[in-house]
Amino acid sequence: MSGAASTAPKGVGTRIVQATMLVLLFALLWATTRAMPHSAGELGAIAALGFLLLVGTLASELLEPLGLPHLTGYILAGIIAGPHILHLLDHHTVERLGSVNNLALALISFAGGAELKLQMLRKDFRSLAWATLIQTLGVLFVMTAVFMALRPFVPFVRDLPLVALFGVGLLWGTLAVTRSPSALLGILSQTRASGPLTNFSLGFVMTSDIVVVVLLALVMGLVRPLVDPADAFSLDRLAVLGHELLGTVALGTTLGLCIALYMRLVGTQLVLIFVALGVGASEIIRYLDFEPMLAFMVAGFVVQNLSKQGEKFLHAVESTGGVVFVVFFATAGAHLDVPLVREMWPVALLLCAIRAATSFGAARLASRIANDIPVVRKWGWSSLVSQAGLALGVAAMIERAFPSFGPGFRALAVATVAMNEMVGPVLFKVALDRAGESAKDEQVRPSLEEEGEEVA
Amino acid sequence: MSLVLLLLGLLVLSYIGGFLVGGRAIRGFGLPSGSEYVALGFLIGPHALGLVDRALLDAFAPVAHVALGWLALAMGLDYGFRRARRVKPARLLIGLAVALATTATIAGLVWLVAGEVFSGTDRVLIALGMGAACAETTRHALRWVVQRYRARGQLSDIVRDLADGDDFVAVLVVGCAFALQTSATVEAPMPAWAWMGVTMGIGVVLGVVAAVLLGKEFRLAESWGVLLGTAVFAIGMGARLELSTLLVAFAMGVTIARLSRHRTEVRAMVRLTERPVLLPALLLAGARIDLLPFPTAWTTFAILVIGTRLALKLGTGMLIRVAWPEVHRAGPLLGLGMLSAGTLSIAVGLAFALRFPGPLGDTVLMTAAVITLLGEFIGPGALRRSLRAAGEIDETVMTPMPRASREAS
Repeated sequence: MSGAASTAPKGVGTRIVQATMLVLLFALLWATTRAMPHSAGELGAIAALGFLLLVGTLASELLEPLGLPHLTGYILAGIIAGPHILHLLDHHTVERLGSVNNLALALISFAGGAELKLQMLRKDFRSLAWATLIQTLGVLFVMTAVFMALRPFVPFVRDLPLVALFGVGLLWGTLAVTRSPSALLGILSQTRASGPLTNFSLGFVMTSDIVVVVLLALVMGLVRPLVDPADAFSLDRLAVLGHELLGTVALGTTLGLCIALYMRLVGTQLVLIFVALGVGASEIIRYLDFEPMLAFMVAGFVVQNLSKQGEKFLHAVESTGGVVFVVFFATAGAHLDVPLVREMWPVALLLCAIRAATSFGAARLASRIANDIPVVRKWGWSSLVSQAGLALGVAAMIERAFPSFGPGFRALAVATVAMNEMVGPVLFKVALDRAGESAKDEQVRPSLEEEGEEVA
Repeated sequence: MSLVLLLLGLLVLSYIGGFLVGGRAIRGFGLPSGSEYVALGFLIGPHALGLVDRALLDAFAPVAHVALGWLALAMGLDYGFRRARRVKPARLLIGLAVALATTATIAGLVWLVAGEVFSGTDRVLIALGMGAACAETTRHALRWVVQRYRARGQLSDIVRDLADGDDFVAVLVVGCAFALQTSATVEAPMPAWAWMGVTMGIGVVLGVVAAVLLGKEFRLAESWGVLLGTAVFAIGMGARLELSTLLVAFAMGVTIARLSRHRTEVRAMVRLTERPVLLPALLLAGARIDLLPFPTAWTTFAILVIGTRLALKLGTGMLIRVAWPEVHRAGPLLGLGMLSAGTLSIAVGLAFALRFPGPLGDTVLMTAAVITLLGEFIGPGALRRSLRAAGEIDETVMTPMPRASREAS
């Protein structure tokens, strides 16, 4: 996704106007919530959606001179307006924005798949294969060990027997393996970067999605008997996983071919089609017990690589980027449980730091083995720190599967994801800038006639 | 029917609406005011086939609010303009005066006869609602006739300019009505005029915000974010305070149109979405129509309103012929050509039905649907006859344009 932002420098006057507008918007919502303090249901969610879209955009613009990525601005705007700081958006309102988030995730997944070009993957295959292997195993085992070592500081595992602790540690290791496709695409959208680092990061982070799905299923099957001795390890789980993966890929491929056919025969109103798919197809895929985000990613990949409609498809998905990323990350910011982060920050910070260090070390090792070019060797780790929706999804799944320690596990996960969510995008943007892959030129203005059809 | 299915159905309608953008409706698909979608909505609604129940419709109330607001934003952006040119102030004023006279007359009459059914504030509200629902001559139907028959001349311009001018009255009256009865839960009690000020204020302030953020240089992707953000925020705040989202969004549109140097581009962006938003809104409005609860009272209102509207429109036709002698040839029934109602009337009806559920809202919505349906069958035909009599339609194209030339045009 690209194209939402311009890189033209803006003057002090513009910044002052933007800051004034930001204050004005906060004041407007503050006055409204004071006049009508009770939760306004869906109507409050509508106002919240518009508010987050505006203040997220403005905050990102204001942070631009500091070199911070736009995502940081979106997240900060959400945190400040959210239930724990200014309380302009209450918990119910933030929860209600979840459905919009699902739609945003669907569009991000389409974009993620469409950004993966077969030619690029073939070229970087050796590099990606080593990185995937070493990152996955390295982060999994190191973080499992670290989590076990931190036992005295983690209340919900303090009393667990060693075997069960090992099981929970493995789950934590799996969580640490997750990366953030949405953060990656958000940064690429802002910087419009291109080059070897961009290609490597795209290839790695997108394929890591599939790795996490497989790994989580394996680890959960393995951990059950460790946590609950009455439970036995069953290979049936692998069969179910195989069924899920194959079904998802088959469905995604069919969806992709249908989209390509539609684009070839009709080719208009693509955004509306994406929204319909985001709503309708998600429901069907969930009903069939498949993985919607993975299916959309496969669909995007198929359109990009098995048809001639790839660029048009990508352009259409990109045109939604200016709205989708703001909504997704500002809502994520509003979701952030600030008191919880405050409570758990020492352990969370330690876990984040060790995960980042492990990712760095694993990236260096993999790059050396794969004989990567210097820019990938130096900065390849930078896109691996961010965590967002996928990690939270994994944590929620673990909470449901293991109610005995699940809530505590999820709380700690939320705290670490919050930190990674704030730091990761900054690191990746710095890396892209230093590697010289961020676009420097002014964004070319697309003509209205060109984009109008797609937007409609 | 489930929530997701209805949502998908609405998206399909939006999709169809998208195909009708750019004049495909004018090329022969669908009725001029889109009242077939109101009928379809009624058919699937809880009071006919029952495919969609009331609870499901209530769940879609936020969608309806956003759709109404977006349509009002489009009207606001267009208000006082026809394409790139400004409507002449005299025509704008006449359009306003005619709409005001229509609204005031109908509201007054309804207030007089409504005493037996409605009392207190409800009596005022029903009068204002009926007046607002009848104020409009829909520009969509006029454009449909003018473009379909390639009419060119002064009469075509006049009727379209007058129709463009009347939107403000209906929107303003709805704003007044909503300000009269603010929510009981609001913690800042204020008089109605102050709430009216708040309604307009939200629209104007967010219009200024949008105009400033749209900036000097137009960027399509950024502009969508700004426009969607400000519009959804304005609509959400208006709806949360139980004020008129129609007036909030309309005020915002007018402000953007006056302050932003990108009015044309913004208008072009919004125009593409107008039909895709309108059709689901019409469907939702149709589904809320309830024929049963008040047959006797409503029949009285309907006869009164329809008769008065008919007389007032005929009077407007006379006025046009007197004010512009060069279009005198249009004939005495010119006013019937301005009987078409549609987007705004249904929007007013739906806004009332959402804000005042029950007999009050249902009566206004039902009235809006009936005058839209009636206008659909009388308006376009009468206008075509008047334009023909005024010599503004080429006799060789009295039948709709053939496909090849339509595409070419």
